[in-house]
Amino acid sequence: MAFETVGQQEASRRLFPAMRRTRLPGGYMGKLLYVDLSAGRTQDLNLPEEPVLRRYWGGQALGEYILLHLLRQDAQPFDADVPIVMMTGPVTGTGLTPGGTKMTSVFLSPATKYTLGRAATSGFWAVALKAAGYDGIILTGQAERPTYLYLDDGRVTLRDASRVWGKGTRETEDLLRAEVRRQDARVACIGPAGENLVHAGMLANDYNHFASHGVGAVMGSKKLKAIVARGTARPPIHNKPALIQAGERWRNTLQVFSVDGRRSVGHGAAWGAITKHNWRTTTIDGPETSGFEDNRITPRPCFQCGRLCPWDVELKSGDHVGHIGHFDAGSEWLDTFFNLDINGNDVLYLAERINDLGIECSHFADGAGLAFEAWEKGLLGPDRTDGLELKWGDTATVDRLLEMCARREGWLGNLLADGPKELAEALGGDAPQWVVHTKSGTPAQHEWRPMLGNMLRELVASGGMKPQGGGSTNPAPDLRYREKWGPLDPMKSEGWAWSHLLSEQYRQASGLMGACWFAMNQNRPDGIKCMVDSLNATTGWDVTLDELLETGHRSMLLQSIFGTQRGWRASDDWTNVGPRFLEPIPDGKYKGFTIAQFLPDLIQEYYRLSGRDENSGRPLKATLEHLGLEEFMEWSDSE
Amino acid sequence: MTEAPIRLVPRAEIRSRRPYPTGRLFDGKARAILFDSSKCIGCRQCVEACKDWNDLPRGDQYRIGSSTWLTMEPPVLEGTASVWGRNSCMHCEFPACAAVCPVEAITKYAEGPVVIDPEVCIGCEYCVYACPWRVISKNEVTGKSTKCTGCADRQSAGLQPFCVQACPVDALSFGLVEEMEAQANERAGVTGGTVYGQREAGGTHVFHVLMRALADHGLPRVPALRYPRHHIPMSVKIGGVVGMTGGWQGKVRSVTNALFKPWRLKYRYWQTPGR
Repeated sequence: MAFETVGQQEASRRLFPAMRRTRLPGGYMGKLLYVDLSAGRTQDLNLPEEPVLRRYWGGQALGEYILLHLLRQDAQPFDADVPIVMMTGPVTGTGLTPGGTKMTSVFLSPATKYTLGRAATSGFWAVALKAAGYDGIILTGQAERPTYLYLDDGRVTLRDASRVWGKGTRETEDLLRAEVRRQDARVACIGPAGENLVHAGMLANDYNHFASHGVGAVMGSKKLKAIVARGTARPPIHNKPALIQAGERWRNTLQVFSVDGRRSVGHGAAWGAITKHNWRTTTIDGPETSGFEDNRITPRPCFQCGRLCPWDVELKSGDHVGHIGHFDAGSEWLDTFFNLDINGNDVLYLAERINDLGIECSHFADGAGLAFEAWEKGLLGPDRTDGLELKWGDTATVDRLLEMCARREGWLGNLLADGPKELAEALGGDAPQWVVHTKSGTPAQHEWRPMLGNMLRELVASGGMKPQGGGSTNPAPDLRYREKWGPLDPMKSEGWAWSHLLSEQYRQASGLMGACWFAMNQNRPDGIKCMVDSLNATTGWDVTLDELLETGHRSMLLQSIFGTQRGWRASDDWTNVGPRFLEPIPDGKYKGFTIAQFLPDLIQEYYRLSGRDENSGRPLKATLEHLGLEEFMEWSDSE
Repeated sequence: MTEAPIRLVPRAEIRSRRPYPTGRLFDGKARAILFDSSKCIGCRQCVEACKDWNDLPRGDQYRIGSSTWLTMEPPVLEGTASVWGRNSCMHCEFPACAAVCPVEAITKYAEGPVVIDPEVCIGCEYCVYACPWRVISKNEVTGKSTKCTGCADRQSAGLQPFCVQACPVDALSFGLVEEMEAQANERAGVTGGTVYGQREAGGTHVFHVLMRALADHGLPRVPALRYPRHHIPMSVKIGGVVGMTGGWQGKVRSVTNALFKPWRLKYRYWQTPGR
């Protein structure tokens, strides 16, 4: 057994049966790969028994459940023995539904150091992992030299990655695919940012996909450059005709991205506000998208998904004509560079650079935004910028800052790598008042401040970066059999705590089954039901909508138990926040609005409604009993 | 589109003297797949859908083989080429693969599909070499020839092929031959492209709207002749005659077939250019 401590060995025996006593449900490959990088050993483990799978499904929840058993309570994010647990779900890779592409990693967040790190990605890599024969991977240990893991149809090898160490994510992907001489190999790798332990280093896969929240940094600390996977296996399916039917219904619910939509300011266009000038301007003035109209845009959808989120762009104007960018669904990276007053195709050029270096965009946006503001206000001078003059909107300067951040060059580069909160503290003066962060992490980079549900989501998440939920003004059509409320007033707090809680549950559940929540369209009738039916057809279970919400709820609670074990309290959600994030909106159509007027009541209401104590954030005993989480009773509220 | 389409042979004629079995799946009305390269984004969802419907192994998406019956050309990562081509069975109106099969394992259906029956196939590989598009492969494990079936099983139930259903950008369509031909010509007119598959090999049931030269789409030039001249290697022919391909049962079936239908042999051994 490769597990080190007695506790880990005991947990492993309990979790991963040597011989299955229960049925392996459809959709699962049945195996996890355990990798000890220190010892250079790998071991196949059986997936937990069916009752555990039925309770957690996969993805974040199953990963959390395993992580909670394996991680020391006093561990630090870059300790050699801390594990990263990567999990797919039963719906991942069947090919018969859209969105069956998800892999979620869970680990101790290097950004916050005390909450759950959660890094999810789509594309093709998770499908290749299952084709190689595995539902997930447990990575632990620390390699002596740069290493990559190669999974080839059930055969596992650890290989030397010296040749690609220091290289960007795109070149790494190409070189490793060539090195294993399998064109169908899929590569998930880190860039220089992960190697240099930038706290929000990303894992990039299949060119267009990025897992954030610092998983790249944890991989970098383990000297693991990449995981390359390929194979011929496909998950067994309980009822294929039923899955085809449910998958077709699912396909019909998708809200397809249009190519023209890629010529706008992105997500912020929907509500008319974007982040500019380090969150001090929100208006969309026009020059932001200049040149976008002539670019060549190609959708690059994920495995068998018709939503067409990911896309490539070839720049047709500006200083970087001919450059090709590979982007994912969201447009946080647009707002990242708008926040530094960059406009037009330079934004797309820099977005490609940040993805190649492997830095989570909001981490850089809020750090660099703060640095520019500090320069503007005389708090930062050339002595600490390696001579760089931080002029707003200067592409070359931002380009250089990206490199400095990814490689931890100089005083500023090193602090940009640590994070905006660390930079603010180092700058001193009033800088801590100008920073945006959530528990030292950073919120997904959009101008969320006008929207209560989304702000609530960002504040209660485990330290920023790609949280789930956000609520809606009316309940999802599929849930109207039990949800009798709405429409909510966007400017009043009434109802938003419950609305967000509900959406967090179903979006969590989407990932747990191995599906991407971008492919979940809860706003259309059948948007959630088709996914439940797909899960049931795949596994042979009889999950209901209520059970789907409960499973999502279970995942949320494991996430907060993880934080509780390491000192997190609910009050951190409204006290450990960069003040700029809670300031009244400075201009535009939402001028003067702020969620701060409803705090902490709104957050406390959210915890009460989710069966947790409103101050400690710990789950109530009754909640744990209801959800079958009695084994975590010692972490329930006792105040 | 520069040349007039040739007339496809009426169904009744198909059922007349053909050098291979013919049949009917559904309503007997000829159908076709239309691939419009001007819409294709190279995502390969059609390729994976083909594998999913037919339970073929994952991986190896880049070359035609027994586990991949449909590829998108060129063989580069999805989305990274500027133009794409579809490479799979064209479901010829006059399938040379079926004509050369010594045991009549390949059936031409009135609706369009050309289907290999693995129970009958003896693995002689004649069809592999006779196919003008080289889209038939021998499964090394089962020893049988494999290729796209045109989702004949789905067509029997009135459903469209699974690859068509999977296309997220409507680059694939499926319908009656006449409608698909009209649509192909119209799309070629709008996009300034050409239509492929109407005349090649005497007509097929897969039409392509092409934006560039054939080679850019990974397609071969195939003469507008029925049963175009093939190049079955002499070693394969001799092996088929003197060897024991398909075992005793296979040998008995192929010899019996040759004795009772000697006129079929010309397609294999004394092939003359088609009409």
